[in-house]
Amino acid sequence: MDNIISESLLRPKWRKVAYGGMQPGFDDNHTDESFLEDMVMNASVVKRDLLKVMQDSVSISQYLCIVTLVSLVWARTLQSTLDENSLLLLDASLFGSGFLVLLLTKEMRSLNLLFHYILNISFFTTGLYMLAPIYHPLTRSISSDSIWAVTVTLVILHLFLHDYSGSTIKAPVALKNPSLTSCVSLNASVVASVFIASRLPSRLHVFAIMLFSLQVFLFAPFVTYCIKKFSFRLHLMFSFGLMAVTLALVYTLHHLLFMLLLGLLVFISVVCPYWLIRIQEYKFEINGPWDEAKLCFNVTD
Amino acid sequence: MADQKHRILMVSDFFFPNFGGVESHIYYLSQCLLKLGHKVVVMTHAYGNRSGVRYMTGGLKVYYVPWRPFLMQNTLPTVYGTLPIVRTILVREKISLVHGHQAFSTLCHEALMHARTMGYKVVFTDHSLYGFADIGSIHMNKVLQFSLADVSQAICVSHTSKENTVLRSGLPAEKVFMIPNAVDTAMFKPAPERLGNDEIIIVVISRLVYRKGADLLVEVIPEICHLYPNVRFIVGGDGPKRVRLEEMREKHSLQDRVEMLGSVPHAHVRSVLISGHIFLNSSLTEAFCIAILEAASCGLLTVSTRVGGVPEVLPEDMIVLAEPDPSDMVRATGKAISLLPNIDPQQMHNRMKKLYNWHDVAKRTEIVYDRALKCPDQNLLERLSRYLSCGSWAGKIFCFVMIIDFLLWRLLQLWQPTEEIEGVPEFTLPHHQDEEIISNFNKDQSLG
Repeated sequence: MDNIISESLLRPKWRKVAYGGMQPGFDDNHTDESFLEDMVMNASVVKRDLLKVMQDSVSISQYLCIVTLVSLVWARTLQSTLDENSLLLLDASLFGSGFLVLLLTKEMRSLNLLFHYILNISFFTTGLYMLAPIYHPLTRSISSDSIWAVTVTLVILHLFLHDYSGSTIKAPVALKNPSLTSCVSLNASVVASVFIASRLPSRLHVFAIMLFSLQVFLFAPFVTYCIKKFSFRLHLMFSFGLMAVTLALVYTLHHLLFMLLLGLLVFISVVCPYWLIRIQEYKFEINGPWDEAKLCFNVTD
Repeated sequence: MADQKHRILMVSDFFFPNFGGVESHIYYLSQCLLKLGHKVVVMTHAYGNRSGVRYMTGGLKVYYVPWRPFLMQNTLPTVYGTLPIVRTILVREKISLVHGHQAFSTLCHEALMHARTMGYKVVFTDHSLYGFADIGSIHMNKVLQFSLADVSQAICVSHTSKENTVLRSGLPAEKVFMIPNAVDTAMFKPAPERLGNDEIIIVVISRLVYRKGADLLVEVIPEICHLYPNVRFIVGGDGPKRVRLEEMREKHSLQDRVEMLGSVPHAHVRSVLISGHIFLNSSLTEAFCIAILEAASCGLLTVSTRVGGVPEVLPEDMIVLAEPDPSDMVRATGKAISLLPNIDPQQMHNRMKKLYNWHDVAKRTEIVYDRALKCPDQNLLERLSRYLSCGSWAGKIFCFVMIIDFLLWRLLQLWQPTEEIEGVPEFTLPHHQDEEIISNFNKDQSLG
């Protein structure tokens, strides 16, 4: 016993230092017990709760339903079951309800802001009305099949890249700029609407459908975002209502599409959250002294 | 075994006329290995019109392979493009061992792969740290895993770097050696006369980029100037963040207290260092940091962020460490200023002479070479199994890459048999003295 103690006293302790040449009694490839002592694993991993993830996934299902509704309107208009007057009525009622929601959910209501919105929207509508004759014959030389194929691709691209956590169109006082992907997504949806509009019989049709599509793609994320911020319960109720309406309307159009949509909704709000929770256990995050230090203040260039 | 002389090929994209930690490491290590009687050949890519074979001090032969750099001094990764020239150099120079430097260097990775295919023993030195979180690092780590899967021995420049490399590459820890950089203390001597203490000058020499903590400097410098009226700053170096520093100088009206030198050639670093009392290093990540050694060798007290391998570099009484946030760095600088009267630059220089020495580094590297040569030879199949264990998909891709490389090598053997490649004639240069090497090194720089 004494021997071991005196030996350990004689032998200098290994130190984690680089200076002073090779440490006496230790090779350069010596691996101490303290090796990887400072490694931290899974330090910033969030424990996720199934219910919470499912609730969050409702935003995705909701937006999927909104896009499906837009496609339904497109399909109905192309089938000529929806005429331009009812389309214009739909536009007006959407504008009205959107404004109402914005007014009710905003904390500070100001006439100035309202006036600002109305001015912008009237510019927007006038511009669209003047452009409608250009959109109308735009794709005359292209076959309908190609247009449908491109439109479906663009809508899928739009859904894939859409920013589900916020809205691309921000309130005038928003701090964060939208990301590149969300802008690409928005543009894809606008191009899809132009393609669809160009297949329609009259200029008024074109104007009405363009106004409708742009209203939804530009402002629906913003409106739903406002609802979500105002009250989460209202958001859930609104979403489930929307899902029910969409499913019912799709059922009247096509049974197979209905099954597809139902399957997709279940996949998004039940299977995916469960899957995410399951694969959490494979999470493996390594941090240690080799990481680049993070600055504790904001760098503005 | 100990007096066995090796014939070593050093491979890296980074070499003179470029300047930095890796470049000087390769240069000094090669010089000291030459002195130990080994033969050293360096292979790098062409720099501007510097292409072909050049000789440097002490008969160090450098192949500037005519392969253009395309990004950050790296050659375009072509995987197999460099095989013929690597093979010719290995055969011509009768190389016994290949030593690659730096994980960023594509030329190094390719040469190591070809050398392994041809059955050479390879050693790899990692000079940098890498995280695990972003896409760039994940990709880089996979490449490193591929390169190191079959390496004979690896060297890291600090213990932190060793931990990092072991985690990134999955090498067994006992295969990784820790051999630090060193500093040429004869080149970094303190000022002949001690500076007065009524005005304290803080020197910063680094590239002014985010990773070197230029943004920290922007916060720290005005605060220190405000707290200590007798402090002046000299900032050497250039980079994208220089504008921010200049803005800071205007904003706080510190034009007469913060001097911006712009980029400082390596030959002038000492003259800048000896005009100051304290050296400030604000890096956010650093595997070793040679700049600290150079400053300490010039007798400056160092204040540095506690990141990466920096805490291992100097004994506690020669460096003041701070967390990488402005308030702690101001505190550490204050502490350094209060310690200053007890610091004797000449004494510090003498201590550095004992702590770091390139000859010691070369001797320790020699041991690694001996170990590498003792590793058993393996045939292709045995080696492929190592690559296969690198990952379910990556493993198969790595194997495929290696098999193609092997076939190409065989093809080259048929096309130009080894016996037909002419070996280089042997010659030995008279022994050089230390001082001479250094003066020549300085001359090389001014020419470059």
